[in-house]
Amino acid sequence: MQTKKISGKVRDLSRRRFMSGAAGLAVAFTIVPSHVLGGPRRVPPSEKLNIAGVGIGGRGAGDLDEVGSENIVALCDVDDRYAAGVFKRYPKAKKYHDFRVMLDKEKNIDAVVIATPDHTHAVVAATAIKMGKHVYCEKPLAHSIYEVRKLTEAAREAGVATQLGNQGQASEETRLACEFIWDGAIGPVREVHSWCNRPISPRGIDRPKETPPVPETLNWDLWLGPAPQRPYHPCYLPFSWRGWWDFGSGVLGDIGCHQLVSIFRALKLGYPTSVEACSSGVNSETAPLASIIRYDFPAREGMPPVKLSWYDGGLMPARPKELEEGLRFGNADENLYIGDKGKMLGHRLLPEARSKEYGRPPRVLPRSPGHHKEWINACKGGEPAGSNFDLAGPLTEVVLLGNVALRMGQQLYEKGLKLYYDGPNMKVTNLPEANKYIRNEYREGWTL
Amino acid sequence: MKDNEKPKQTKNSKLSRRDFMGAAAAVAAFTIVPRHVLGGPRQIPPSEKVNIAGVGIGGQGGADLRELSSQNIVALCDVDFRHASGTFKRYPNAKQYKDFREMLDKEDKNIDGVVVGTPDHLHAIVSMAAIKRDKHVYCEKPLTHTVLEAKMLAEAAREHKVATQMGNQGQASEETRLTCETIWDGAIGQVREVHVWTDRPLNGIDKWYWPQGVDRPKGEDPIPDTLDWDLWVGPAPMRPYVGNRTYNPFVWRGWWDFGTGALGDIGCHSIDPVFRALKLGYPTSVEACCTLVNDETYPVASRVSYEFPARGDMAPVTLHWYDGGMKPHRPPELEDGRKWDTNGKLYVGDKGKMLGCRLIPESRQREYGKPPQKLERSPGHYKEWVIACKGGKPAGSNFPDHAGILAQVVLMGNIALRPALKQKLLSTKLFWDAEQFKFTNLPEANQYLTKEYRQGWSL
Repeated sequence: MQTKKISGKVRDLSRRRFMSGAAGLAVAFTIVPSHVLGGPRRVPPSEKLNIAGVGIGGRGAGDLDEVGSENIVALCDVDDRYAAGVFKRYPKAKKYHDFRVMLDKEKNIDAVVIATPDHTHAVVAATAIKMGKHVYCEKPLAHSIYEVRKLTEAAREAGVATQLGNQGQASEETRLACEFIWDGAIGPVREVHSWCNRPISPRGIDRPKETPPVPETLNWDLWLGPAPQRPYHPCYLPFSWRGWWDFGSGVLGDIGCHQLVSIFRALKLGYPTSVEACSSGVNSETAPLASIIRYDFPAREGMPPVKLSWYDGGLMPARPKELEEGLRFGNADENLYIGDKGKMLGHRLLPEARSKEYGRPPRVLPRSPGHHKEWINACKGGEPAGSNFDLAGPLTEVVLLGNVALRMGQQLYEKGLKLYYDGPNMKVTNLPEANKYIRNEYREGWTL
Repeated sequence: MKDNEKPKQTKNSKLSRRDFMGAAAAVAAFTIVPRHVLGGPRQIPPSEKVNIAGVGIGGQGGADLRELSSQNIVALCDVDFRHASGTFKRYPNAKQYKDFREMLDKEDKNIDGVVVGTPDHLHAIVSMAAIKRDKHVYCEKPLTHTVLEAKMLAEAAREHKVATQMGNQGQASEETRLTCETIWDGAIGQVREVHVWTDRPLNGIDKWYWPQGVDRPKGEDPIPDTLDWDLWVGPAPMRPYVGNRTYNPFVWRGWWDFGTGALGDIGCHSIDPVFRALKLGYPTSVEACCTLVNDETYPVASRVSYEFPARGDMAPVTLHWYDGGMKPHRPPELEDGRKWDTNGKLYVGDKGKMLGCRLIPESRQREYGKPPQKLERSPGHYKEWVIACKGGKPAGSNFPDHAGILAQVVLMGNIALRPALKQKLLSTKLFWDAEQFKFTNLPEANQYLTKEYRQGWSL
């Protein structure tokens, strides 16, 4: 774990300053007083948090391990078979299928860890937040831009501690990337590329016609949650929901919040002015096998406008001339910053000689005690976690905006446009039809 | 023809398979085939017609013959009589054949020129057989299936002094000439970066011209009576026939053994003006990235990047190719409301940009007007070839001067996509040594400059 290596000693910049610097948004970071009635329970550092997990079979299990120093008091999953191992690991925790029932019955819950499929993040998180629970939610924060915004506002309002599951944000690498750029190591950055070779589940496919029976161990209706009704099929779960628009958010949604966080912080990005997308074919059911999403960001605080290109499915930019032969230009996941005075791959200046000559940038950012630990500290009254929703929200919105461009690809093509975006108002300004993807409709019985 | 039967050898097939493979493996010590003892191409006065035979006539080959129907279509050859039936009917006086070797044997005296519209894996075999008999050749793009084949065809065509033309019609267009003249006039300054893209194999947003990124189907279907599968497979390794438009017609493009993917299909069209305007030759390096790729079919989408050295007073330039729906960043110079098309060419110069043959934004083009006309206009792509067959000037995409090198460079891009090289190519590009005709830094890449021919087949 990279977070284990991180020393937490040097804090020459307060967390707050780092956050607002990193956010770079016109978001007025209002300090909301604790909720008058209730609000989160005050948990002193000496006490343990009572944590509940929702969606525990996959990534949720890993998250619970990371917060296992606290009390895991309740577990909820709609898939008994998939969750069986985790249920066994915490024999004292109460078991539930429906998170609403769990939150109703278990009055002692301080905090909730959410790792359901993307399409249920928001309904679970919003319910927990409104009850004054702290929330750790897997990435992407939610399934639509509207949901993200609502969650961000709700968390701020409720004064709960939040953290998005993009662990890399706590890493030394992310800090070094910021410090290099801010030190001017590669000059002003006008172009940045980010890529990931996923997907690892099927894409570009149509909805299956067969309707096999729902396994007895699965509550399909709850799994669907707010998504439109459709017959059960094993092609959706576990994990492979990522490719389906109704449930997941494609590779960009899966990995973008991990990988773009360094870029967001280092370049102090907010909302883009425009976005365009191309892909290996996109249908109304699933995300494409491969895509390139290109964002244009305006100038920010002494930084020039910058183009950000995201690639997935195995695509990536051309190998930079500065990278020496024999050094890997991997297709797995990487960020390449192109500045007026040089290039940086991840947090490594190119070429190697330049990196050696430069050494380390001055350390201006505090180091993290660990991504999950940040959240626990925040739950106990410490400073906000590094990917609290005020920061993770805008990042996720921008990530999800890429999918809007992807899904509007044909219309944008026919009209000869890229998508112009008004971030603060969550509106596509030049193609009103696109706004249907900003906010998704909920199945009857479900609200945010 | 069965696998174990001896191939019919023409008198001139001096190059044994072993020679060929040896050449490919290393320095291409490739024997120059001596001029045919008996003659060279027949002298055809402009007043006479060219006697043309078509090989592979069901698809684009049929369209090519229509364009040449002012000449005599004397013989037709196809291994798929059902696919070819329309073309057979259109030329009732033409003799019909299944095997091009038999046709060339029997009709040798009646044929002046051969139009080759077979799948890619047969282009070189058919074209070379024709050239060795001193027949003029019109061959569909890409010129060949492998880099070495393109080089050898170009050399053989020069040696035999036959008239040749590759089927990249756009080369004859006004647009291609305007592209050259605009760039040569310095309208966008030095060009250091060019982007060329196609949506193929994708067709629109969710349909496919042909599949890529798929595996070989299991099982086998009965071969239709109307198809000679053995001849269709030709020099490729034998595999079971599968129907349902798995390999034929047309969709062979996606299979490594038969086609050359989107790059091979479209590259010779759309990279042609780039080649001419920027006076390109061999690149110094090639690299690529793509979606998952296997040994059966080309990937669903890819990017291939070539670096070319300085040429005369032109700066080094990088050419980026995209397919499968991928495109470069829409340039800010392109006005809102103008399509960022599914197929295109973007030239990035020190002093401006050009999309296709027009400067962007459009106001810049209007201000600039037309470049000085320096290039001769074409009488038409097919007409060029007919004129050349009758002793006129060489066609614009003749093999020795243009199509040979263009096809070689296009096909090199596919080598950078080979799955077996993928891991190593994450740590380097492929560096090309034009003089030695090989990649210098990854010897195993050189095997893909050529291919093994099934027993009984040779160039």
